[in-house]
Amino acid sequence: MEPQQGQGKPHLPPPSLWPIGFAIGIVCILVGLIVSWPAAAVGVAVTVVFGFLWVRDVTGGYRRRDIGTEPAVGGPESATEGAPAIPADRGEAAMPEPAPGERFPRSVFLEGATLGLGSVIAGIVTVPIVGFSIAPVFQHVHHDEIDLGPISNFKEGQYVVTTFLRDPSEGEISRRTAYIRNNGFLDNKPSFTVLSNRCAHLGCPVQPNGPMFDKQKLEETTKTGDVTLIPALPAGGFGCPCHGGQYDQEGNRTAGPPVRALDRYEFYIRNGRLAVGRTYSVSHVDGAGASAKIHKYKETGPGQHVDGPEQWFYPLQPPS
Amino acid sequence: MASRRVEENRVAFQRYKEDVKRDGKPFYPYAMFHDTVMSLVVVCVIVGLAFVWHYTSLLGPSLAAKADPGTVSFVPRPDWYFYFLFYLLRIFKWPNSVILGTVGIPTILLILALAIPFIDLRRERRLLRRPIAIVAAVLVALSMGVLTYKGATAKEALGAELLADVPNWVKSEQLPPQALPGAKLFATSGCLNCHTYQGVGGSQLGAPNLSAEGSKNKGITFQIAHLKCPSCVNKGSPMPSFAAFGNANLRKLAIFLEASKGPH
Amino acid sequence: MPRRRDRKEQMLAAAQYPLDWLEERSGLIGGLRYFLFRKVPGDSGWWHTLGSATLTAFLVQLGTGVILAMYYKPDPKSAYESVQHINNDVTLGWLVRGMHRWGASVFIILIFFHMARVFLFGAYKYPRELNWVVGVLLLPLALLEGFSGYLLPYDQTAYWATVVGININGTGPFIGPFLASFLRSGPEITGDTLSRFYSIHMLLLPGAILGLIGLHLYLVVRLGVSSPPWSPEAAGRERAEPPPVPGSGLVNPAPRGVTKRPD
Repeated sequence: MEPQQGQGKPHLPPPSLWPIGFAIGIVCILVGLIVSWPAAAVGVAVTVVFGFLWVRDVTGGYRRRDIGTEPAVGGPESATEGAPAIPADRGEAAMPEPAPGERFPRSVFLEGATLGLGSVIAGIVTVPIVGFSIAPVFQHVHHDEIDLGPISNFKEGQYVVTTFLRDPSEGEISRRTAYIRNNGFLDNKPSFTVLSNRCAHLGCPVQPNGPMFDKQKLEETTKTGDVTLIPALPAGGFGCPCHGGQYDQEGNRTAGPPVRALDRYEFYIRNGRLAVGRTYSVSHVDGAGASAKIHKYKETGPGQHVDGPEQWFYPLQPPS
Repeated sequence: MASRRVEENRVAFQRYKEDVKRDGKPFYPYAMFHDTVMSLVVVCVIVGLAFVWHYTSLLGPSLAAKADPGTVSFVPRPDWYFYFLFYLLRIFKWPNSVILGTVGIPTILLILALAIPFIDLRRERRLLRRPIAIVAAVLVALSMGVLTYKGATAKEALGAELLADVPNWVKSEQLPPQALPGAKLFATSGCLNCHTYQGVGGSQLGAPNLSAEGSKNKGITFQIAHLKCPSCVNKGSPMPSFAAFGNANLRKLAIFLEASKGPH
Repeated sequence: MPRRRDRKEQMLAAAQYPLDWLEERSGLIGGLRYFLFRKVPGDSGWWHTLGSATLTAFLVQLGTGVILAMYYKPDPKSAYESVQHINNDVTLGWLVRGMHRWGASVFIILIFFHMARVFLFGAYKYPRELNWVVGVLLLPLALLEGFSGYLLPYDQTAYWATVVGININGTGPFIGPFLASFLRSGPEITGDTLSRFYSIHMLLLPGAILGLIGLHLYLVVRLGVSSPPWSPEAAGRERAEPPPVPGSGLVNPAPRGVTKRPD
């Protein structure tokens, strides 16, 4: 489109320095592509900014002219006196129309630029704030192996209520309890059942259905903090006092609302000492003791199904 | 084009504005006096509750023991205004329905509450002419009240606490001394997670009340056999086996159960 | 005598001057006067005090909360001890904490009463639908305040109620596990969880609640309160005779302060 005569004066584009910046940006991109990505990114930014300013400069004449002719288009109809009723789709909440001859009529460019800059500010401020607060959701947590002391502390066939620090650097807030049973040997390797005491319903502390022998309490101090061991006889399995979930001695749900079996800890034997690592979730266990077949799943929050049709409610899990 | 209902609403609101302008009273001091008196009552109640909390034990301890994430002897409780949810979670005792109690019902209630003005579009405000609304309100208030009450009075079967009840059992059931070891074992072994005894224990799993188990005179041999394998004796019984206790412990339990002849 | 009267007038004028000064430069006095002397239905009474009572309870929470924040330490190693310190050592600390603890309960109860009153009065109907929606949104925010504040004393009840509460969020379909992880600030409850709850409890939620209360009050003042539905004098009641001026309804609602009169 050829520039037209506007307001009785020939339109001449004013001299502009923006193309120089634009060119510098292009050079910067090309150099950056060879040297380093950040430089290229800076080049892109410079190019976009100066290109935008250049285009704005060049098109300034058109925009001024358009605005100038607006009153003629609006005509007497847009006068306030005797105005027709506001159409139903443009009630009070609609933006005001400029009055004819107004010195500062609507400028689409300024509106766009204001809103655009506003969203840039919002973005600059929001990204770090939101990122800062939700980043922990997506970060893996490293779990050290926790040393629970010599295997000889665990009598074969007996459950031991073991409390330990899951993360020694966090201190007491990371204290956890596991119900640990020495299952003897399987293929010459020691076998343990290490149940988490977190209820699979909503995470309350599960308790043994049977006496705990406080008098036989053992306290060990290992390199990962202090460990207490209390033998127990959970003849009736384990029960949760919050909402009445019940588990058998293998951690299988027997009654109440829990959606799966009790979680378990990975265990390791290091120089005759028992260590535990990550937890994993279990849908159910077939058999018992050393020969039990454990249906393992990635660690999942309490109350979330790992099998059955309900598992599709929880297709993704944050890393643990 | 505005519908007839919208037109009528606008006319009615215009009439409201004219009525208030003509017959209304100024907010200050007429209405504000009521507000101020009520606010004074509220502040006094708050301060009063703080005093009662500090000087008596009616409202519970001011601070429980320090948090112990590794505990095996604690029963968590929410604040009272979440009791309804707390009890709702006990009602949904089937794994497949957990999600209904946790997020389903609260979300549905919230959405319904938000939608009320867009469902009930009539202008009628008189109570007797809004039967559905009144019945719904009464039902919601009633169920919230019942759930809160049930949540507040729900009993847990916690070994350490139940052990303190054993002397009461001895007294009201007139248990002989040889039943005492069994009573202690009974209290700490999670029996009351499912059963009730002398008004304590969990009833939500539907297991029978054992307060008068001995009056059925089933005999110690039967009790031991039943504890060892409940489903062998009672076909279809969901009760788990307690065989792992060993014969000596089972005998103690059986003596206790047979001695429980109901409250005297 | 006349001299004394002069002096009285002078003093009144002197007292009036700062108010006039403020009004001329801000218009705030006029706004306050509009708020105080606006007309409310003549039959409004004790039923209508539940809303302002709720506001009072919230203001008590704000005041006591600010003071508690001066002594409280949001760290698992010292939170419990700092609450003990508030209870036992700080002058009247037990009172401030007790008021905050029980003010929360009173606040929640009053919200429910207020909500019931509005429902029974049918006061959520045209044109007050939006105000009902704002009020309903305030309810879960207040409950979340209660939930997030419950952890802060860091005793056994606090910790385990929070564990269960977070896991309840975790059972939400699809986003639940991520929501729970967000609340915990990771897969396990750590010290970060406590400070996160502290920030949510004393900055995020109160800010949101204050904003919504402002909107709620603005709408109350703009739209007025409903008369009791059983009142024979209820404002805006249907009359037996036809309305005095037919067609006086507005095609479009008039802007505030402009009452359209039939010509």
